[in-house]
Amino acid sequence: MKEVASRESQVASPERGTLIAHGLSRTALGSQLNGLAPLPALRAGLPQEGGAKTRDSLPTLLPGQVASLVGPPGYGLTRLGLAMLAEHSGPVAYVDVRGWFNPLAAWEVGIDPDRLHVVKCDDILRWSRAAAALLEGVEAVFAEVPGGVRDAAIRKLGALARARRAVLYLRPLRGSLPAGVAQLSLESQAVSWDGADRGHGSIAVRRSVVTASGKSMRGTTRTIEMEDDGTDAVLVVSRVGAAQPRVATG
Amino acid sequence: MWFPEWALRSPGSLPAEPRQAIDDGGRVVAVSPAAFAAGIRLGMRRGEAEAVCPNVETIERDPGAEMIAFESVAAAVETLIPRIEVTVPGLLFVPVSGAVAYYGGEAPLVDRVVKEIDDATGGGFRIGLASGPFAAKHAAALATGEPPVLIVEDDADFLASLDIGALGTEELVATFRWLGITTLGELARLPRGAITSRFGAIGLTAHRLASGPDREVVARTIPVDLTIEERFEPPLADMEQVGFIARAMASRLVEGLAAVGAAPYRVTVEAEAADGSIRSRTWSSADPLDDGAIADRMRWQLRAWVEGPGVGVRGGLAALRIEPADLSGGGRQLSLGENARRDIATQRALAATQAIVGIDGLLNAQPQGGRDPADRVSWHRWGEDAPAPQRDPAAPWIGGVPSPSPVLVPPEPQRFTIEWDTGMPVRARLGSRWVPVLSWAGPWRRLGRWWQGEESADRWQIVTSAGAFLCEVRDGETWLIGIYD
Repeated sequence: MKEVASRESQVASPERGTLIAHGLSRTALGSQLNGLAPLPALRAGLPQEGGAKTRDSLPTLLPGQVASLVGPPGYGLTRLGLAMLAEHSGPVAYVDVRGWFNPLAAWEVGIDPDRLHVVKCDDILRWSRAAAALLEGVEAVFAEVPGGVRDAAIRKLGALARARRAVLYLRPLRGSLPAGVAQLSLESQAVSWDGADRGHGSIAVRRSVVTASGKSMRGTTRTIEMEDDGTDAVLVVSRVGAAQPRVATG
Repeated sequence: MWFPEWALRSPGSLPAEPRQAIDDGGRVVAVSPAAFAAGIRLGMRRGEAEAVCPNVETIERDPGAEMIAFESVAAAVETLIPRIEVTVPGLLFVPVSGAVAYYGGEAPLVDRVVKEIDDATGGGFRIGLASGPFAAKHAAALATGEPPVLIVEDDADFLASLDIGALGTEELVATFRWLGITTLGELARLPRGAITSRFGAIGLTAHRLASGPDREVVARTIPVDLTIEERFEPPLADMEQVGFIARAMASRLVEGLAAVGAAPYRVTVEAEAADGSIRSRTWSSADPLDDGAIADRMRWQLRAWVEGPGVGVRGGLAALRIEPADLSGGGRQLSLGENARRDIATQRALAATQAIVGIDGLLNAQPQGGRDPADRVSWHRWGEDAPAPQRDPAAPWIGGVPSPSPVLVPPEPQRFTIEWDTGMPVRARLGSRWVPVLSWAGPWRRLGRWWQGEESADRWQIVTSAGAFLCEVRDGETWLIGIYD
């Protein structure tokens, strides 16, 4: 009799798990709790809604850390950065150098309009001062880095982020960042889209492959495949080809 | 807890000789037991009452003074049980469900309260214990014994036996009597729907009171003393020194307020001169004042007093006070996970950023309706109120670009080179290289607003190996209008 009961509860639990997973989807919860995102660790532990893929969390940054997102436009790095920005519950800022940023996409990944501040700044000198001013009081800053900014200015921003315990996402528009600034470096490798065909449908799901490296990956370089259906969080589909950490032997 | 003759306690405890209190209209609102015994009743005219009992002492009612005196009682009760409600001077509701458990039952709790209040007032109170304030007040009125205490076990049972007059609403009581309803129990037995449809909200309230379940006690908030005062001995003459002190005082004020989740919108600055004269001025702001802003205003004000026309601050500054005069706090309700201190830091950081990038450089956006990604965003400057959306975002926008939306939208369409083969895209030029088109969606015919000189165009979503792009083909020319980055 007891055995039957325990088996029943085992059968019942996956269903409950799925319900919880639906209930915690960020857009639903986020609107209720005013932008309080579920903890990444919690999301990582959620069961997958169908399919054999394992749902994994995005690489997360601790307060005071810097991430760099390097790659040409079109590979989905801005959207990935916005999804990481959405994990923060406090006010966030986007530094827009080109004037091309459209906040619609930020709202779609779950950033509340009231806590997103957009700074438009195309002047190199003013850019670093504005980013520094933002880091003084904004929880997370996503900044496009214009070409021609001096390395020292970027290093100074990294130090300021560490001192103020703010998270800084840097998206260089040209080239890459000076070495050692970012604790997490994401570099785009490939991108493909599902949903559109030869004229039919419309683009719906993006799959992108990104390599992640840096201190917060504990020295390893990992290739991460991600799926983004445009409405909820970016989903890490698999972590393929984790390179061995370079440890001196012998 | 009820002190029926509180109005008579002027200044101290209840006198032995007959005494009555009258209100502005000259009617008796409180009588002492001795006066009651002599025949004075509530609601009598003053002359009438004095005719019944010539030696009665009459005092005029002063609710302000009564409340000041009653505050000591309230404070005494608050030391035993927090969150009390003071309805009028002399009537106190105390939620006791927690305290009953804490003091180990109703009787020990009442004993403690009686002892405490006896010490503070010298008696004259009545205590009723019930589930709701209405029942408790009537229990107090009917309490007997020394001290008079009545503990009601079942509110509905207790109320059922009360006369309908207990409701207090004269017209309603008269109507009920005329209808043959003489006790609260009879009223409670009537269907609530019938009472509501006949008498409306007032009838509903009466029925609810009569049938037992009652409102919650509305606790008075324990006021926090937020005034910051600094006294100077000897008086200060140097205004530079005052500047530093003002800064420290402002920080203390803001910190104290942040602890209770408020920010000041108005601050009263008060300066006391060595000769005892006091000058005060209130400063207000549309945004919550932070410590720097308060300190600035204090300095400005002191300079104005010292250097400006008028008597100045004679003999130097003896004391400086700042008081948050308006904590209305529109939008100051903290949400879950919000932090008042961080909020102030954020406002400061954004203000600094705005100073660097200019007033049009720091923007906020709100959703609005529209077909194009750019149309669906309504921008406004940081610090200004969001304008009402020009177009309803909830309305169906047929022909809109489907989600997901492009992250990068150029302010002006950019020229984009695509090689076509019989109306189908083959490859696209990105910078200096050509990339093959893997798939595409479209064309979606988009009818322009011809009455505004806008041409019709075709929309395409072009997917290449280097990402997806939103394009528009107009007059055979291809334009880039969005990047799905």
